[in-house]
Amino acid sequence: MKLSEFIRPSSLAEARKTLRALGPKGMVLAGGTALHFMPGKTPVTAVDITGLGLSYIKQKGDYFSIGAATPLSDIQRYRGPRWAMHEICRRISTHQIRNVSTIGGNICRVFPWADLPVVLLAMDARMVVYSGKDKEIPADEYFSSQPARLFRDGDLLTAVKIPVLKAHHGFGSVKATRNATAFSLVTIAALLELKGGVIKSARVAAGSGIPFPQRLKPVEAALAGKEAVTAVFKEAAAAAGAAARWVGGEGMSADYIRQLAEVSILDALERAAEFARGRAE
Amino acid sequence: MTKGTHTVSFTLNGEKQTFDTRPDEKLLTLLRREGYRGTKYGCGQGTCGACTVLLDGRATYACLLYAMQAEGRSVRTIESVGTFDNPGEFQKELVAAGAVQCGYCIPGMVMSATALMETEKDFEDEIVKEYMDGNLCRCTGYEKIWVALRKVLDRQAAEGNKPAAKKTSSKGAKNEQA
Repeated sequence: MKLSEFIRPSSLAEARKTLRALGPKGMVLAGGTALHFMPGKTPVTAVDITGLGLSYIKQKGDYFSIGAATPLSDIQRYRGPRWAMHEICRRISTHQIRNVSTIGGNICRVFPWADLPVVLLAMDARMVVYSGKDKEIPADEYFSSQPARLFRDGDLLTAVKIPVLKAHHGFGSVKATRNATAFSLVTIAALLELKGGVIKSARVAAGSGIPFPQRLKPVEAALAGKEAVTAVFKEAAAAAGAAARWVGGEGMSADYIRQLAEVSILDALERAAEFARGRAE
Repeated sequence: MTKGTHTVSFTLNGEKQTFDTRPDEKLLTLLRREGYRGTKYGCGQGTCGACTVLLDGRATYACLLYAMQAEGRSVRTIESVGTFDNPGEFQKELVAAGAVQCGYCIPGMVMSATALMETEKDFEDEIVKEYMDGNLCRCTGYEKIWVALRKVLDRQAAEGNKPAAKKTSSKGAKNEQA
C-alpha cells in the first residue's frame, strides 16, 4: 500500500476527526506490518495511533483490559491471575513481528488465518470501539463478519476486554502449522466451565481452514451437560464436519483439514479441562 | 532518491539524527541509503530477518517499518555491535565456530541475539529460540550458529551471576527453524 502522507494525531478525538475527513483515503497505522502487503495503487494517508496511550494491559475487577495498540510480545510476556492469552501470542509469526504487530491490527481487519479472533470468540471478549464515546461490542457480534465495517466513519478500536477466568473455568488453544512460524492451518480455542466433573457450558471457536473465524456450535452442543472426559471430547470433536465448511489448500484436501481440526479440538478441550482442574500457572 | 518531502528524527546508534524521507519509505531503505549497509535486504517481506534492527531495544524487521514510525525513538543497527576490525563477542564466536558461510543472515542473527542478551536474565533454550525464531539461515542449518550463541550465553551467565541455562544442547534450534 502506498502512503502519500503520515499524520500523528495527538488525541483519540483528533484521530477520529482526521479519519472521518479522509474516508477511504485514510488508514490507521499501529504496528503497520500488514500495510506493506495490502493491495491498492491509490496512495493513502497513514494515521499513526501509537502515540495515543493505547498500549497497556490492566486488570480491572473481573476483566483484563488490553489497549488496541499493545504489541503481541507484551501480551505474551504479561502474567496475571489465570492469564491464558500468552500461549497463542507466542505462536503468532516471529519474534520481530510480535514486537511490532498489535492486538488491534490483528482484529480490525481479519485475515482468514488470524489466530486472535478465534481466541477472543472462545473467551467471550468485548471490543471497545470509540465513536466520540466508547461502545462495547461482544465478540459474537464483532466477528459476525469483517470488523472493518465498524470503522468506516473514522471510529477506532481502543481496547479489548477479556474476562478473568473463574476458578472452575479452563481455557485451551491449539494452532496447527507446517513449521514453528508458518501461518495457521487450523486454530482452535476452547473455554470450558466445569461443575464437579461435568461441563456446565462450553465455547469452542475455529479459524483458518474455514473462510472466516467462527464458533463451532454443534461441537459446543455435544459438550454441554456431559462429563469432562476424553470420550466425550472425541465425540464432540467429531461434530466439526457439521459445524463449519472446511477448506483445503496447499496440497491438503478439505477432508484432511477437517481431520486436523478434529484432532486440534480434542487437544484444545483436554487442555481446557486440565486448566479448569487447576493447572499450575 | 530525490530530496524527501518529509523529515524524521531518531537516535541512531546513540546519536540523534534527522533524515529526509518520504511517507512510504521503509526504514531499511533509509538506513542503507545513509550508509548503514550492515543491515541487509533479504526477502523484503518480514520473513528472513536479515534486516533486523533494534527499535527501543526490541528486535524489529526494518523492511516492515516505515521510516516515519521511528520518529523520536532509538534505532540500533549492526554497526553499533561490532565492525570488521572490532567485532562483537558473538561475531567472534560465529567465526570461530565456522558458522558463517555466505554471511548474509549474520547481521540479523547478531541483532536478535543482542536483544536477547540485553533483555533477558535467563538464557534457557526455549527463551533463546523465541528470540531467534525470526531469523533464517539457508547455508548452515543453524547448528554452528547455535553452538556459537550458546558459548556466549553460557559465558555471560557464568560471569554475570545470571542463572545458567538448564540445558546446553547443540541441537536445540534445529527443529524449530527447519
